[in-house]
Amino acid sequence: MTILAVTLKDLRLHARDFRFLATLALFSLSLTLILSVAFGPLFRDPAKEASATLWASLFFAGVLGLTRALDLESESGGGDALRLTGADPYAIFLGKMIANFLLLWALYLLLLPVTAMFFDVSDLAMFPPGAGIAALALLGYAAWGTLFAALARGIKARELLLSVLLFPTLIPLWIGAVKLTNSLWSGAGVEPVRDWFKIMVVVDVLGLALAGWLYEVIQEAGE
Amino acid sequence: MTPTIPRWWTATGRILWAAALAGVLVSLWAVRYLAPVEEQMGVVQKIFYVHVPSAMATLIGFGVTFGASIAYLATKQWYWDAIAASACEVALLFATVVLVTGPLWARSAWNTWWTWEPRLTSFLILWLLYAGYHVVRASVSESSKRAISSVLGIILFVNLPIVWKAVEWWRGSLHPQHVVMTPEMRTTLLLSMAAWLVFLAAAFQTRLRLEWLREAAAELEAAADGATPARPAEGRP
Repeated sequence: MTILAVTLKDLRLHARDFRFLATLALFSLSLTLILSVAFGPLFRDPAKEASATLWASLFFAGVLGLTRALDLESESGGGDALRLTGADPYAIFLGKMIANFLLLWALYLLLLPVTAMFFDVSDLAMFPPGAGIAALALLGYAAWGTLFAALARGIKARELLLSVLLFPTLIPLWIGAVKLTNSLWSGAGVEPVRDWFKIMVVVDVLGLALAGWLYEVIQEAGE
Repeated sequence: MTPTIPRWWTATGRILWAAALAGVLVSLWAVRYLAPVEEQMGVVQKIFYVHVPSAMATLIGFGVTFGASIAYLATKQWYWDAIAASACEVALLFATVVLVTGPLWARSAWNTWWTWEPRLTSFLILWLLYAGYHVVRASVSESSKRAISSVLGIILFVNLPIVWKAVEWWRGSLHPQHVVMTPEMRTTLLLSMAAWLVFLAAAFQTRLRLEWLREAAAELEAAADGATPARPAEGRP
């Protein structure tokens, strides 16, 4: 119940901040466009370049989304109110993580067709397995991102700091997502790179487990 | 642990530095005269005797940061945080040595200064992350610095097994899994390892002393603030 309430609260905050969401969508589209222009117009390996572009754009747009969620909460005093309710910190974390996951998922749904169009890799058969890969990658991103965003609360230039810490930590996740998406787009299926599934699951589980252990400490430190 | 430094700590520091200096000199002598020149790579291969011990010291240092961070969260004693931060700083120094000596070796062995090889890449990521630890530590407020640093000290440790196992997990690694050495090479490596680990201990001890002094200064300041009544501002009655 707490999880759902926190998720809905965060989503409501995002919905009210429509101008930011529109800017975020424009930013991620611009990033995709810039990268496709940099790689093009004659693509050497469209599937590979499209996968790298998709996940790079998602990462940078995601960092902005994660920090914005935190700012909105700080501005409205929601973080302090949540702590005062005495709710389980892990439930609060999960609620926030799900809201961030949905935000990232919306970005993915926006960028996927655009990237496929720009790089001309529009294979409709890849969408269902691609969604599975995206779910794994974005779950890990949301889990670690929510954890690091809470950690970076109160730090100036936290967008930069989040990029510095979050990107290297999630390297196995990015490599896995890029390799699996590339494999799907090039028509080889996931079989040749299926080991990356295991690595991505390990990163996801680690993020969720560490948050279970440490989120309360981070919350207390931020008080 | 009280925030006043006992004499034995200072004396231990001197002994450690003397041992580290002697050890490093002996190991350099062994590198120059005892270890044979490797046939294929020539004299550049001798970087190995600084590179490998530095990598070992890095892993030990970050391991101490991890352990001390857990201990801090469990006990909330300032000295565990001081140990974690000191070990992390010294380990980062050794990690920098690894990243500098690596390309020197790579130029001779692989004919390139840098290649996106699994262990090289994962080690660079490790360096970036632990450099980030210090940036975060310097950026957060004093009240939450210790808790936040400890959480980071735990989270970042997840990357160490990746560096350790990168050679086995990813195909195409240029780092060898096993190195064949002559007895002289092995002796030199062991001597270098011992020398640089004592150096690590000495540097860590000195860095910890600094944290200790900071804590003592903070405590004295707090005591002075509590004892002295606030002076009226100039120009007021």
